[in-house]
Amino acid sequence: MTVPDRPTRILVVDDEEQIRRALKSILSTRGYVLEMAATAEEALLKAIDAPPDLVVLDLALPDRSGIEVCRELRTWMTAPILILSVRANETDKIQALDEGADDYLTKPFSAGELLARIRALLRRAAALTSPPPIVTAGELVIDIARRRVTHAGVEVPLTPTEFDILAFLARNAGLVVTQRMILERVWGPEWAEDAQTLRVHVSNLRKKIEPRPGGPRYIITEPGVGFRLAADEPPAG
Amino acid sequence: MTARLSTIVSKHGYLLAIVAIALSTLLFLAGRDLFAKGQWALLYLLVILLVAGAAGTRPAMLASVLAFFAWNFFFLPPYHTLLVHDPKDWLSLVAFLVVGLLVGLQTGRLREREARAVAREQETAALNRFSAAVASQTSTEQMTEACLNEIVKVLGADSASLFVVDGNDLRLSGETPDRATPDPAVAERARRAMASEPAQIAQERSADAPATVAAVADGGLYAVIHSPSGAAGVLAVQARTSGAPYSPNAARLVASLANLVGAFLEREQLQAVATKAAAEREADRLKSSLLSSVSHELKTPLAALTATVSNLLESDVHWDEQSVRDELRAIVGDVARLNNSIGALLDLSRLEARAWEQRRELYELSDIVAAGIEALPAHLRQRVTVDLPETTPVVDVDFSQWARVVQNLLENAVLYAGEDSPVTIGARDWNDGVRIWVEDRGPGIALEERETVFEKFYRGHSTSGHAPSGTGLGLAITREIVRSHGGTVRVEDVVPHGARFVIALPSGRSPAAPTPAEEMS
Repeated sequence: MTVPDRPTRILVVDDEEQIRRALKSILSTRGYVLEMAATAEEALLKAIDAPPDLVVLDLALPDRSGIEVCRELRTWMTAPILILSVRANETDKIQALDEGADDYLTKPFSAGELLARIRALLRRAAALTSPPPIVTAGELVIDIARRRVTHAGVEVPLTPTEFDILAFLARNAGLVVTQRMILERVWGPEWAEDAQTLRVHVSNLRKKIEPRPGGPRYIITEPGVGFRLAADEPPAG
Repeated sequence: MTARLSTIVSKHGYLLAIVAIALSTLLFLAGRDLFAKGQWALLYLLVILLVAGAAGTRPAMLASVLAFFAWNFFFLPPYHTLLVHDPKDWLSLVAFLVVGLLVGLQTGRLREREARAVAREQETAALNRFSAAVASQTSTEQMTEACLNEIVKVLGADSASLFVVDGNDLRLSGETPDRATPDPAVAERARRAMASEPAQIAQERSADAPATVAAVADGGLYAVIHSPSGAAGVLAVQARTSGAPYSPNAARLVASLANLVGAFLEREQLQAVATKAAAEREADRLKSSLLSSVSHELKTPLAALTATVSNLLESDVHWDEQSVRDELRAIVGDVARLNNSIGALLDLSRLEARAWEQRRELYELSDIVAAGIEALPAHLRQRVTVDLPETTPVVDVDFSQWARVVQNLLENAVLYAGEDSPVTIGARDWNDGVRIWVEDRGPGIALEERETVFEKFYRGHSTSGHAPSGTGLGLAITREIVRSHGGTVRVEDVVPHGARFVIALPSGRSPAAPTPAEEMS
């Protein structure tokens, strides 16, 4: 990972001591500076005390729900929030994403997964102020600025809507985006509930860019939540 | 009332007419010369009017005919013959008969209309009373009693009974007045009434259509009660012992009551369904909350394990030997917690399923306490003080289960009371048994938590605000064990602050100890 001017600060919020210990071991060895909180109250205080660059937040806290913490943090904080949850409960995840969380991981997760998500979140946060990048995923190259998509060097003809969907996924490369987020971004807020339309366009898009129909490699479905573009990580440096 | 009056009138109305005309004729004869013959006719009309008012149309008609003859015989010359000399008297006679009949007819009708109105009013009042009674009743028994009492009172019946459909047969649900042995003939007639109800009529019947009333040969009234799911029962009014038949009004009243009973039974059925559904929802909610607790309990150490092990496998970091040892130590801790959680879950399942065989013997309590303390992690042991009497009480228990009880209570106190709090375990003989307590100087347990702390997966908040590392099962297991030995466990306050868990264990076996499964539900 790149070494920035100052170390990246991560606030870890989890009530389970064992999880905090494991996260500390994983993150501090990668040069991140950690703040730990076991309750919602503590988390909110520490976030104000020393604003973090990223928050890792468990949904099940003893005093208040993680979703509430998310909502409260979002009233002033722009740093990405990564949700941890033991529940395979989609409604919780969607609610957390709607309340301003940026991605989620279901426990148990591997150290590699956690680190990749954190890097993706930090990259996107940094990219918000720079020109749209060229995103690659295997042989797929998405040039957002020039509105060009190539697969194995061959240009893929996409309709404007298909390109907008892919570009939105590319801007959030490696991160989950909910169906609602895509619909609002590409079609407008009044279309936010029209999941059927989105499914049709994603299906067409996959036919054009996925090498193997039936086993998507680039646009990964997050069951019940949305989609994720499995992009390559840009080379360090 | 209506029925009784109408029977009296139907039996004695004609007699009344005869007596009235006879008496008035005698009276009039005494003063025959006081008035002109025509004036007596007017007085007879007055008598006819009175008869009509008291006894109705037909007796009034009889009275008019009798008066016609009496006037002719006694007051129109020549006296004491039915001959009439004066042709003008013929005219008077005919006019008298016509007027008499008309007066009798009209007044009688008026009277009968009034009687009907009174009867209808009584019927309506009875229905109103009954609707109010039905609406305020909560049980079928109360409703049945109210309904049958009302019928007996209003109809002047000797007895009434309600049969409800039970499976394929009718079951007697209530009878007024109560009889030690119900009359089998009544049940048989009720069955026949229901069988004679054509099936297609029952199907076509809408909810507000009246019930049918079958007046059976014996003079009783049998109304089939309908509910949306078909015939629901029979309302039976037995024939009066006096033999007086029931009026059509009575049949209508019984039919209306049968409809009300049908509505009540239907409401009750719906309520039962709703109650059952609510109970099932609650059971589902409990199941799903238990499931999420179990999954949390098992997945947390698993998540820590996965994260730590996969971290060690990442190649982007160089791991020196000391770091690897630290990670491995953490892994051992995670595995121990996972083992604890699984062990506690299994213990609780075994206790709830009564699959943990108890081997009860007499033990000195001090041995059990020592074993419980021994089971604590070494660094916690030194915080525990023991307060046992010189001659330690002897208890009849399963040793390993009670060592677990002691261990769980001590662990709980150590975890929740904070690091500075001393923890004391004590015991004394008490009444016909022994009292064991574990006491700390922590913040104590709030009143509303004193029952919930014993629930599965309930974990209070420790002083530091951090979730304690217990399984959330220790106190649930403790309560199960104590109960299965016939004892009780509860929490109380320690002054000035702290919590005291008190176990009361009666000596000797108590075979009547409640089963854990019943208690838990």
